[in-house]
Amino acid sequence: MTGKTRKCFFGLKVDRQLDGDKMNRTFVDRVMTEGGEGVAIAACMQCGTCSGGCTNIDRMDLSPRTLVLMVQRGEWDKVLQSQSLWLCTSCYICTSRCPRGVRPSDVIEAVKAIAIRQGIENDSTRFNQIFVELIQKRGILFEPELMQKYGGISAMLEQAELGIKLALKGKMSPFPAKIQDPTTFSQALEKAAQS
Amino acid sequence: MKYSYYPGCSLHTTAKEFDMSTKVVMRELGIELEELQDWSCCGGSVAAGVSHDVGMAMAARNVALAQKQNLDLLASCSGCYNKSARAAKALENETEKQKITAILSDMGISISDSNIRVRNVVDVLANDLDLTSYIQRPLNGLKVACYYGCLLTRPADIAGWDSPIFPMSMDRLAQACGAEVVDFRSKTKCCGGPILVSKQEVAFELTKQLLDEAQSLGADCIVLACPLCATNLELRQPEIEKKYSVSYQLPILYITELIGLALGLKPGKLGLNKHIVSTQSVLAKLGI
Repeated sequence: MTGKTRKCFFGLKVDRQLDGDKMNRTFVDRVMTEGGEGVAIAACMQCGTCSGGCTNIDRMDLSPRTLVLMVQRGEWDKVLQSQSLWLCTSCYICTSRCPRGVRPSDVIEAVKAIAIRQGIENDSTRFNQIFVELIQKRGILFEPELMQKYGGISAMLEQAELGIKLALKGKMSPFPAKIQDPTTFSQALEKAAQS
Repeated sequence: MKYSYYPGCSLHTTAKEFDMSTKVVMRELGIELEELQDWSCCGGSVAAGVSHDVGMAMAARNVALAQKQNLDLLASCSGCYNKSARAAKALENETEKQKITAILSDMGISISDSNIRVRNVVDVLANDLDLTSYIQRPLNGLKVACYYGCLLTRPADIAGWDSPIFPMSMDRLAQACGAEVVDFRSKTKCCGGPILVSKQEVAFELTKQLLDEAQSLGADCIVLACPLCATNLELRQPEIEKKYSVSYQLPILYITELIGLALGLKPGKLGLNKHIVSTQSVLAKLGI
């Protein structure tokens, strides 16, 4: 953490500037290990093109540009506490526009996974974990179960009208589908998640 | 031409009409589909954000199964397409390939060097054939807004067959069908699909903007290729109308349904009666 904001000439905020000697390679590497080699965080030149096109920029506490800067500088607490992680819709606008190949959406995806592993808890982390857990269980997602596990009885009741309409149209089965060997599938993914 | 067809979770449930219309339209155009045997969920936009390796393995499993059938993989759902294509690309990277191979081998599935391509139905229809010679019933007078959303054409190094920011494939397909295409500026703005449940309010706001624009352009329907976008735009449309005290009753059609109508196929065979927001106004306008 850099502490309070220091200003230099022309009102530029020093703690929002990219500064080579503030780069923290440990954090950058950690995100790259999670997100694969395609993530090129160090190449970011803070142009802000990612933020300019972002779907949910108006609602975010840290813009995608700032998030990448915080990762570069290893300001881990700010990154992990940011609501922006859960407002990102993974729409890839930022990644499509980035002139430096940083892939901000993949950076955010990797940070989300690290945040979940570090025990960050909110509606989004809970939903995402249940989603993955249910796919692991049968190989095919069963939506009524997702709604029930996430939102409980009240969510089921709230969605009952739509559910009945869908069932009448033959678009919602009361029985879940599954792959041929869900047990082996599930065990393999469980092992991968722990390694 | 023959493909291994990957329907994914949605096309067997909430997007049944996308499954039905893909199958009959492809048959009509002489493209053979062989369903991918024992396919599993691709993990969507969520899984890799819980664990990168788990997400990649979920998607790569289907690519490996298509390799076994030795056929290019064809997905209708934008999400299934995007995640499968992403996995196929990851397999070109040695480190990723090693990790994925290890997980899949625990599932008893092997990855071969067979180089299969991952395609989306829009890509095939727009780029592999000329639709105009198949048109039996031009959709004259129908105004459509083509909505691409995010995963169909982005990012360019995974999709790459149309512009990631302002694509035209579906617009041209709709024009080939004889429909009039409106200039839908929000065509690649995200509907908020992946945060629909966990941040419903935000997703509704994003979706409302899309419905507002399509309505103001006088579109008779929105045409798309993603079941998650359809969940927001169609299944949640009544809730959005109620919440914001607005009225749309705007039909949401899959691109294959639109093409099927132009090919002269019966609406029932395409699944047009399976919608939650009635498609009757579209059929009435076409005199079907």
